[in-house]
Amino acid sequence: MTVGTNAVKRDAHDKVVGAAHYPGDLAASDALVAKVVFSNEPHARMVSMDLSAALDVRGVVEIVTAADIPMNEYGLTMFDQPVLIGVDSTSRSKVPSDVSRWEADHVAVVIAETDAAALTGARAIDITWEQLPLAPDIDSADDAAVLIHPENGLSSNTYYQFKIRKGDMNAGWALADVVVEGSYTLPHQEHAYLQPEAAVAYVDEEDRITVQIAGQWTHEDQEQIAHALDVPLDTIRVIYPAIGGAFGGREDMTLQIVMAAAVRKLHARGIDRQVRALWNREESIVGHHKRHRAQITARWGATREGKIVAVEAAAALDAGAYNYTSNKVLANLHLSLTGPYDIPNVQVDSRAVYTTSVPGGAFRGFGGPQGSFVTEMQMNKVAEALGMDPFAIRLANVLHDGDDYVTQRPMPDGVSIETVLERCAEAATWESPMTDPAQVTPIKTLGVSRSVSTGRGMACALKNVGFSMGFPERCEADVTLSGDDEIEAAHIAHAGADVGQGAHTAFLQMTAEAVGISLDRVTGTFSDTATSGDSGSASASRMTFMSGNSILGAAEEALKAWNDGDRPAMGHFRYVPPPTEPIDDATGEGWPIFAFGYVAEVVDVAVDTETGHIRVGTAWCAIDVGKAINPALIRGQVEGAIAQAHGYTLSERLAVVDGRTLNPTLSGYLVPGARDLPDKIETVLIEVPDPIGPWGARGMAEMPFIPYAPAIMAAIHDATGVWFDSFPLTPDRVLEGLGRLAASE
Amino acid sequence: MEGRILEVRISVNGVDHQSDVEPRTLLVHYLRENLSLTGTHVGCETGYCGACTVIVDGRAVKSCTMFAVQADGASIQTVEGVADGDELHPVQEGFWECHGLQCGFCTPGMIMSSIALLEENNDPSEAEIRHGIEGNLCRCTGYHNIVRSVQYAGAKMRGESPQGASQEVSS
Ligand code: FES
Ligand code: FES
Repeated sequence: MTVGTNAVKRDAHDKVVGAAHYPGDLAASDALVAKVVFSNEPHARMVSMDLSAALDVRGVVEIVTAADIPMNEYGLTMFDQPVLIGVDSTSRSKVPSDVSRWEADHVAVVIAETDAAALTGARAIDITWEQLPLAPDIDSADDAAVLIHPENGLSSNTYYQFKIRKGDMNAGWALADVVVEGSYTLPHQEHAYLQPEAAVAYVDEEDRITVQIAGQWTHEDQEQIAHALDVPLDTIRVIYPAIGGAFGGREDMTLQIVMAAAVRKLHARGIDRQVRALWNREESIVGHHKRHRAQITARWGATREGKIVAVEAAAALDAGAYNYTSNKVLANLHLSLTGPYDIPNVQVDSRAVYTTSVPGGAFRGFGGPQGSFVTEMQMNKVAEALGMDPFAIRLANVLHDGDDYVTQRPMPDGVSIETVLERCAEAATWESPMTDPAQVTPIKTLGVSRSVSTGRGMACALKNVGFSMGFPERCEADVTLSGDDEIEAAHIAHAGADVGQGAHTAFLQMTAEAVGISLDRVTGTFSDTATSGDSGSASASRMTFMSGNSILGAAEEALKAWNDGDRPAMGHFRYVPPPTEPIDDATGEGWPIFAFGYVAEVVDVAVDTETGHIRVGTAWCAIDVGKAINPALIRGQVEGAIAQAHGYTLSERLAVVDGRTLNPTLSGYLVPGARDLPDKIETVLIEVPDPIGPWGARGMAEMPFIPYAPAIMAAIHDATGVWFDSFPLTPDRVLEGLGRLAASE
Repeated sequence: MEGRILEVRISVNGVDHQSDVEPRTLLVHYLRENLSLTGTHVGCETGYCGACTVIVDGRAVKSCTMFAVQADGASIQTVEGVADGDELHPVQEGFWECHGLQCGFCTPGMIMSSIALLEENNDPSEAEIRHGIEGNLCRCTGYHNIVRSVQYAGAKMRGESPQGASQEVSS
């Protein structure tokens, strides 16, 4: 048995001895340096760009501009962003290239002999801008006379919408004994992966433009590059070396296309030198997308017995200057506004709005955290209004196998939210709460303060596994078996990205299991478009699920070939899950999701009502993973997700004002350190098999993030009697909420 | 100042180097670029993340906060120099054994801070460990397994036989 064991990560040895190579560690000593120049203009039209002084700088070799990009557009789900802003574009794209809509839009890439020359060259570029009006947030974008993407033909900045129309709202309200309304503001969040963006690019031995970078989907990077450069796909190669964290933040393009364009331009001039690029932390934070800001209102009606009978909600998602994956994030947010509950009458309206601010995009949870925050806050408030137990009211409303989802089609089998809640409540001894509140002293060094109030809160969630809404999901694997009489070794080739979560180790474990040999006989080749078929991205809690099914198929093919006498025996398989469909524009009906994961959390907090500090004692997380392929790695995902959710809830405050990020540093944007986290994280792994998961496995890496913020809010309410409907809850905001500090602007 | 070159003598992982550096060259860049020791990482260059931590004359130092010339005459240990041949240092073994890393980008810095901590006190409490690695950010693990890795290493350094996660049975 290899599946189900705590195999050590295959890359762990290299990582503890300093031998793992990240994209910033790869460049040859004679590599040229590429400096990406940001526009620094949240909304402006370029009137002119003069490169002459920059090209005269000693050591500057070449400058790449919009004129070098034949199809000057990119975007994971919509081509709405120019690769480079410029006045001399001859691109066929309908996206105007001369307008900067984001301070981090790229205007040029300066290629030079040294970092210093590249920087001097970048500063010597002379650009004249004509300012355009800003629409830096949802409110201003709603009434702005200015359209950020007039090329899309729409009459407002709202460019994507979803609806749910289920049941009969009047009938629902008529049944309601209580009605609870809330208005919530969700903040940005920065990924803050520890490895800033970096890449090397060159022409490889088969004349392919090759980019080595940290990303989440090699084949999508390859496609985006080929599209923008208007070249055949197989002339581009993308390789991922070690990746220093991702969390969704590397799902979109940063250096991919511009580095390929740089190499292409040099190659055309007969220069075949490697090019390297490295962003500093400020460029990283300013220069990639964020978890979305959102404004959401909700109105819920419930009977005296605690049955939710009506849900009305409206959500506006700040997409920022470009779509990135906002339309998909919106879909998830939209569906999570009713959570894992069976609610008869529902009306939800969700929309994505372009603004002249940092784009929102993928980040662990992908819309789930925003939507579920509102759902769980509402559920806890309804429980309070009815004087009901938060656990009991959830049990009275959760979905079961055979129920319809909010999209009015059956849930995929294996609905386990009831079990998950029960196991969580049991682990946390929900019935007799707060055994040792002294554990949760806000400032440990100060000892127990007299102004401390303690409380406990609960929340739960479901999260879709895989790309949903009709996306043509697939994942490929190649397994090769070698030996004479006996299978002596197996090799797996897979494109899936190991962003740190241990995907490659899981691939090796699953290959060993599927082939029936020990783990030490399995080797792999990973994350290179030249050696593997398309795996889809390491995102959407899909990689284990999808890769496992692809590996099972490829192993079966390889074993068949082995039995037919092939040596080596090879098997290729392309796994395709049950096809999903988009939801109906008018009603939200459809079957958008093929699998779910389920999670519940309970937290104990202490609030120092004098200082506003919050300390989390224990966080319990019960999660259904279907089958734990590697329990230790899964626990690591739970702990990491909770740490990120802790920062999201309590300390990570990104200041984005008038389209500019004001605190793009790790000293100004506070991600949790070793002493900030809960004293204890108790993980309860539950294995209710997913009927179509490999060995029953479900996706799991996003789920533990989702219930944390609303569980904390419920615990703070339990402690103080105050509901906080926006966050992060930095001490000043806590004191404001408790009425101890005048509200600041 | 541009172009002025100074000569430094620095011992790195037991090897003496005599190098010409510019006065403004940071120690981290000297290690990574002049000596190709890329195990020491750069996460912020502003002294905040700890990914660049190395040991300078026995003390953990963020090598982005120090110029190479300030290390003239010093003895430096980086992550590449802590194993004894093929035998991992107890701290490296701890991180390997207890799943103390995910992406691994923080790991070299964490390892160096942990070594400095354990060399001062090989039996630290959990609070002391958390305090000792407070200057090192990790965005992936939530620190729990890192704390266990250091505990494992401490036990090993005290001559006890520690338990790693890979031997544990899952629930
Ligand atoms: S790189 Fe030195 S502390 Fe971050
Ligand atoms: S393991 Fe990724 S930052 Fe620590």
